[in-house]
Amino acid sequence: MNINATLLAQAVVFIVFIAICWKYVYPPILAAMQEREKKISDGLNAAKKADDALEEARIAFEKELSNAKAEASEIIEKANNRATQIVSDATSKAETEAEKIITSANKTVENETNKAKEDLRKQLSSIIIDTTQKILDEEISKDKHEALLKKAAEEL
Amino acid sequence: MATELTTESYIGHHLTNLTCGKTPDGWTCDPYMVDKMGFWAFHVDSLFWSILLGALFITIFRLGIPKSTDSAPSGLQNIVEMCIEFVNDNVQSLFGSVKNTLIAPLALTVFVWILFMNLMDLVPVDFLPVLAGHIAYIVAGDSVGWISSPESFYFKVVPTTDPNITLGMAFAIFVLTIYYSITVKGPKAFIAELTLHPFGKWLIPVNFILEMVNFIAKPISLGLRLFGNLYAGEMIFILIALMLFFGSIPIGIMGFGLHLVWALFHILIVALQAFIFMALTIAYLAMAHETEEH
Repeated sequence: MNINATLLAQAVVFIVFIAICWKYVYPPILAAMQEREKKISDGLNAAKKADDALEEARIAFEKELSNAKAEASEIIEKANNRATQIVSDATSKAETEAEKIITSANKTVENETNKAKEDLRKQLSSIIIDTTQKILDEEISKDKHEALLKKAAEEL
Repeated sequence: MATELTTESYIGHHLTNLTCGKTPDGWTCDPYMVDKMGFWAFHVDSLFWSILLGALFITIFRLGIPKSTDSAPSGLQNIVEMCIEFVNDNVQSLFGSVKNTLIAPLALTVFVWILFMNLMDLVPVDFLPVLAGHIAYIVAGDSVGWISSPESFYFKVVPTTDPNITLGMAFAIFVLTIYYSITVKGPKAFIAELTLHPFGKWLIPVNFILEMVNFIAKPISLGLRLFGNLYAGEMIFILIALMLFFGSIPIGIMGFGLHLVWALFHILIVALQAFIFMALTIAYLAMAHETEEH
């Protein structure tokens, strides 16, 4: 257990191993570790960017969707309004038409009534004249009593 | 030369390195010639495990280099990257804004390598030495005189229980500290730091002695701390192992339990000491980069 040249030999061996480690072992490992570290941080950044883009797209999509919804409801409302309009138009037109028809029917009935009354009056006057002629025979001539007959007819 | 197995010889066997060095008769690894080798001797077992485990560290981390950055990391790659991140965090907290590309790889090497060396402590104490002894006896028992039996071949397994290894690393870090002190601060500032504190310029010799003690104590304490902790851990494993071989059956069973408990606790020491060595290495190098006066 005495100190001898082993000490010097070990010192030399030690320095040789340090040199090997310094030149051939440590740098490639450290370089690889740093490279991977960079790759990982790059990857994380890219993932964050992708996340942001996704969020942006989602917001845009939602905006678009709500726009479309609003537009659709507007269209539906317009269509509803239009339908109501059409129905009410048709209703009023039909009502007018019906009124017109009723009015014209009324008028026709009135005309017919008048006409019937006139006919009746004429027939009645001719019946009266005939009857009167039969009663009076030749006493009363149709020509002599025209004015009288006419007046009687008017009074009927 | 098969000696009888005694407590003393068992402990001695586990605490002796396989030492090869130059004797007056030439190079040899004979344990009985160690005293004649002087300074120019090498603990072959410590260096063997140290280099093997260092190579294992390099291999594992080379295999862990990410093949592509497109897929999620898995398996070995995760472990490697976890180590790198752990070391980077520590370097960041101790080094702050100073840019030096050597510090992190150095800290990584220190941490993982020392962790591997310390972990050898968890391999059962007899397993590898006995295996190595038998292999050496089979391979070289006939041709090499001093390998007379498997037991005569010493083979320590945990490099960090050898002060040469820990102080060797501390020494290398010490040299780096001086190098960065001079290149970053400039020689003038470095010398000023060693001589003008804490008593100002009229007591330069006193300052120098005090600062030198402080300066040299750092690497020595760094190396001895690791050595002391692991040596003590190893020693306790050896003593527990002795309970199995030299005690009665109840003591042997207790030994098993104790071994388990100590091994579990030692995992903490193993990792903690590797971490402390790394943290102090970074701290000392950070001090070498500090330019402002304290």
